[in-house]
Amino acid sequence: MLLFRNEEHVDRWCRQWQMPAGAIMAPPQAWHLAKAWFSADRGAPEWQRPPVAAVEALFGSLELTAPFWRLR
Amino acid sequence: MTSLDASLRRTIYDACLTRGVVLSIAELSVATAAPSADVRAALARLASSRVIVLQPGSGEILMAPPFSAVPTPFRVETSHHAVYANCAWDAFGVPIMLREPARVEAACGCCGEAIQLPVSPDGPPSADGVMHFAVPAARWWDDLVFT
Repeated sequence: MLLFRNEEHVDRWCRQWQMPAGAIMAPPQAWHLAKAWFSADRGAPEWQRPPVAAVEALFGSLELTAPFWRLR
Repeated sequence: MTSLDASLRRTIYDACLTRGVVLSIAELSVATAAPSADVRAALARLASSRVIVLQPGSGEILMAPPFSAVPTPFRVETSHHAVYANCAWDAFGVPIMLREPARVEAACGCCGEAIQLPVSPDGPPSADGVMHFAVPAARWWDDLVFT
């Protein structure tokens, strides 16, 4: 996942590398995603990677519901 | 997960959080008083369970998300140290995991112009710029280096 100045620069990058456009996210939404993903103490004995269903629910809660965000 | 796996995970993240470093196999061996062969095997188990990502040749840690063991275009500077994150998403994750404000220093993926974002663990940034996910979520683990 890369940062870009704006969506026009994403389009340019996709054309340059002949990549289909992926998903674009503004910093506030990206922060909410990171907050949910990285708040836990990953060194704690009880920590486990969230199961797919939980990740799907997280994506849904952030309105990331396009096919791009499907995990299975 | 074995007790060594759990101990390594604690040790790995303690070093990331307090010192801003991703430890080597040799350092993990000393820290856990475990033979390096056992450390290698445990790291492989942690990688197979997608806790960390290993460097393909050496078996050393490449990623202990959100931290990177190698320099990347996503430098994150805190009041204590500077670390590298694996990607833009992980760069936001560093101050959240550290629970302290940080400054993300990156560059536009297209033109290379510097992008600096203050990121707080307490609320979303009001910053320009956009994050681009190039690979659909279901394929991220095909190659976590390029997502």
